[in-house]
Formats: sequence, structure tokens, C-alpha cells
Amino acid sequence: MTTTTQPLLKLLRRIERGLDAIIQPVVFAGMAALIGVITLQIVSRVLFTAVGWTEEVARFLLVWITFLAGTLAFQRGRHIAVTFVVDALPSRLRQFARIAALLIVLAFMITLIVIGYRYMQVQSFQKSASLRLSMTYVYAVMPICAAIMAWYALVDIIELLLGDETTHAQEKPL
Amino acid sequence: MTLLLFGLFFLFMLLGVPIAFAIGASTLYALHQSGVPLMVVTQQMFQGINSFALVAIPMFILAGDLMAQGKVSEKLVSFADSLVGFMRGGLSVVSVMAGMFFAAISGSGAATTAAVGSSLVPELKRKGYDPASAASLIAASGTIGVVIPPSVPMIIYAVIAQQSVSKLFLNGFLPGLAMGLGLMAIAIAQAYKRQYPKGTPLSLATIWATFKDASWGLMTPVIILGGIFSGIFTPSEAAVVAVNYAMLVSLFVYRDLTLPQVYKLLIRSAMTTAVIMLVIAMSAVLSWTLSSWQVPGAIAQAVLSLSTNPYVIMLLIVGIILLTGVFIETASALIILTPVLLPLVLQLGIDPIHFGLIIVVGLSIGMITPPVAINLYVASSITQLPLERITRAIIPYMLGLIGVLLLVVYVPIMLGWSGN
Repeated sequence: MTTTTQPLLKLLRRIERGLDAIIQPVVFAGMAALIGVITLQIVSRVLFTAVGWTEEVARFLLVWITFLAGTLAFQRGRHIAVTFVVDALPSRLRQFARIAALLIVLAFMITLIVIGYRYMQVQSFQKSASLRLSMTYVYAVMPICAAIMAWYALVDIIELLLGDETTHAQEKPL
Repeated sequence: MTLLLFGLFFLFMLLGVPIAFAIGASTLYALHQSGVPLMVVTQQMFQGINSFALVAIPMFILAGDLMAQGKVSEKLVSFADSLVGFMRGGLSVVSVMAGMFFAAISGSGAATTAAVGSSLVPELKRKGYDPASAASLIAASGTIGVVIPPSVPMIIYAVIAQQSVSKLFLNGFLPGLAMGLGLMAIAIAQAYKRQYPKGTPLSLATIWATFKDASWGLMTPVIILGGIFSGIFTPSEAAVVAVNYAMLVSLFVYRDLTLPQVYKLLIRSAMTTAVIMLVIAMSAVLSWTLSSWQVPGAIAQAVLSLSTNPYVIMLLIVGIILLTGVFIETASALIILTPVLLPLVLQLGIDPIHFGLIIVVGLSIGMITPPVAINLYVASSITQLPLERITRAIIPYMLGLIGVLLLVVYVPIMLGWSGN
């Protein structure tokens, strides 16, 4: 690898790690809130009267956790993929297959940003059934997370093109 | 158009695109080609995961992770040892029984394998058991994790097939028990062949002592399943009760977890969940597309034109399930297969709960059939044994489990229990 690309790669990786470090506590808060909300639902139903809004909040939290934790899993390469075919290829072809796969993911994520954003706008006048929450907040998570994953895929492509193999070993033990 | 969709899907998947995105991208492209407004993609994705029943998935995963981390699994193993350890090859039987205990706490096969494996493998090695065979037995017992309730795949199936989670759970006991007994029988036969030692003699005092030690763990299934079947909790609520209970036990009773560990576990189980949920979201778009093109109906017609004998067709379906499980991870395979196979099965007049059990047991065997075999990977990383050796040793257990699967398919007594 040439010395000119080194600072660029470092910067890209730092942005990636920064994003990841912001998302982790948000996901934790989402999970904690999910436990809290349903605990409240049980306690209130058994001891007092049932609260109406807890199921809705739990569903929306699940949607948010799915997409946000999906970016964490993507960054760590934890999404389920069929790897035994690509692993069996000779190294040049394997490199080629990896880049092709990442390009497909990138194109898909960019499409999701566009249609997710459009859907969010169309639905912006809709309010949720029990909390009267604007559905914009619920639907916003998809274009946001698609953008984050698109960024990760782009960085991975740049790294592969620059021929830096070390980056795939950075998986954190979470 | 259907061919284009499936062609792209297989191409993307073989290139190593994560399965969720391979499904999403191929469906999106095919929909775009056929001129359907893409808004439906977003809409179906949200509808696919915006479900209260699915909340049980992150919670059962978290409860299982919390329990697997700490001393709970050790105590369960000691209790199982006091019950069946006296037999020849007792430790093999113990690993199956501990797997069944942990299956009643955890909803996943990998967690069950990890929990039993990490507490039993050192002991098995010390007593001179063949390491590859012991590791493969633990991996095989791990499959019971998704059959005895709670079970993450059963929740997924229930949501896709619009069936009751509790009913599936209730019917999971007998197949799970049959799998356990089958594995135990094979293990005992091997123990006599290999002249394994007998363990500690049976003693009521030890049973009582280890039972008391393990009672915190043993209470978990009582709370979860008792709560669900008595109608006090929905399955999702029961899962949250299990999480609260597991946290209290590990933070205050056994004190084997610190708060930073809890923080990490919450994020880790959120990731495990997200991986499954994104496949569900993308597949919701796929199955909407397929049913608007009337593909499942056409497949059903084509298969029924070959034969209308339900026994023959079920054998074919079992073959498809097993083969899919060899190459695709359990949850993804379940999410892809259910919408395609269910209409066919319903036309044969098979009860959807019964089919749920068949597909879950069938795909659980996929957890021990390489190349995609999560339990074997877990067992291999715990024992540091190469995958090939464990794989060779697992063949008798795998055949035993396939035998149980055929029993689940063809013997209706499995369902006698629940008033179906």
C-alpha cells in the first residue's frame, strides 16, 4: 500500500468507529427501554389497570433496534451469509467476488435510502394509533441506517481496492 | 419474472451477499422490472417486523445469553450428573440431559451448545471420553434448544404462519423429549462398545443437594412456561419476565455478572436479533411479491400433480427441509421456506401446528450438518478440535435425529397432548 492512501484510510476507519461508538449506547438504551416498557405493562396490568400504549412503544422500539443493531452487525460482518463458496475460490477471484457483493449491498442501501425517505415523507401526516406519535419518527430509522450501512460498504470497497487485507481482523469481541 | 427473482437471489447469495440483503436486492429489482411502485417494499418491510409477538425474540435470546454466561449452566450440569451420571458412559447421558434442561431456558441451539459444552468438556476429557465424539454429542444435544420451548424459530414460524406461539411451544415438549431420549440411547450403546467408565453412584443426598443448587436455574422454565400456559403472560411478556429474573439471579444471587458485562450482553443480543429480524423484514417483501404473483399456489399445484399421496409428499418436503438446512442457517431457512411450503401443506390437510414442529425439528438438524452448522462451530471452538473430526463423529447422532424427525412427521401421537 502506498503512503498517500494511508491517511485517507485512517480517516475513513475513524469515522466508521465513531459512528459505531455512537450507535452502541443508543441500542443499549433501546433494549433497556424495551425491557422497562414491557415490565411496566405486566406490573400495571396485574396490580392496577392495563396501560394502553406499551405494546405500541415496544413494537416501535423493536423496529428501531432492528435497524440500528443491524448496522452494528454489518460493521462486524455478523450478518448471515453463505461464505463457503467464496472461500473456496482462488484469491484473485475471491477479491473480485467480495467487491461485487459489496457493490450489490451498496446499490441496495442507496435504493433503500431513497425509497425509505420518500415513504417517510408520504406517511408524515400519519399518527400512531395510541400515542398519536408522528410516524415520521418511526420510519426515519430506515433511511438513516441504510445510509450508515452504505457508508460502511463504501469504506470496505475502498479498502479492498487498495488491497489492504488487515482491516477484516478488526472485529471487536462484543 | 419469478425465475429472474430466484436467479438473482441465488447469484447474490453465492457471491457472499448477506442473505437478508440478497433477498431484499433481488426482490426489489424484480419488482422494479415488473413496474410495481417500490413504496410497497418499505411498507412490507415495516409490516413484517412491526409485531408484538416478535418482541419475544430479543428477550429470549437475552435471557439465554444471561443464563449461559454464569453459574446457572454449571449447576444444571451438576444436577443432571447426579441424576444419570451413575450409568456407563454417564457423562454422555449427562450432556444430553443438561442440553434438555438448558433448552427449557434458552430459545437457541448455539446458546444451548455453548452453555453445556463450556461446563462439561473439561470433565469429559479428564474421564477419558473420546473428545470428538463427546463434542459432537453436545452439538447434537444443542439442537434440542430450539425444540423444547421457549424457541426462537417457533416464534418466527408462528408469526409467519399466523399461528399461536403458545400452542407451538406446548407441542414442542414431546418431540424435544424424543430427540433427547434418542440421543441418550445412541450414547449408551456407544459407551458399552467403548467400555466407558461408570460415574459416581446414585445418591439421594447428592440429588437433593445439587437440585437445591440448581433450583434458581430450574425455576426459569417454571416461570416462563407456567406463565404462558396458565395464561398470565403472553409469550413476549414471559420472555421479559425471564430477562428480569435472569438479571436478578446473576447480579444478586450468583453474582457472576458485572454491570459492564450486562451492557455488552444487551448490545450483543440486540445484534443477534437484528440479524434475524432483517431477514424477516426482507422476506416479508419477498413473500408479498410471490403471493401477488401466485407462486406458492403454483408450486403447490405442480407438486400435487406429481402425487396426491400425503405420505409421499411429506417425505419430499422433509427432504427439502433437510437439504435447505445443510446450506442455509436455521432462522433464514425457516423464513424463506415457510411461506412457500405452507400453502402446499395446508392443501394436504396437515395441521399448521404439526407442520411447524416438522419444519423446526427438520431445520434444527441443519445446525449439525456442515458446511453451515452453527452448533458444530460452537463445539469446535470450545473443544479446539478440527471441524472434520467432530463432523465424522456426529453421523450416528444425526441419523438418530432424522429418525425422530420421521416420527414427528408420521406419528400423530406427538400432538395428542394439546387438544389439536
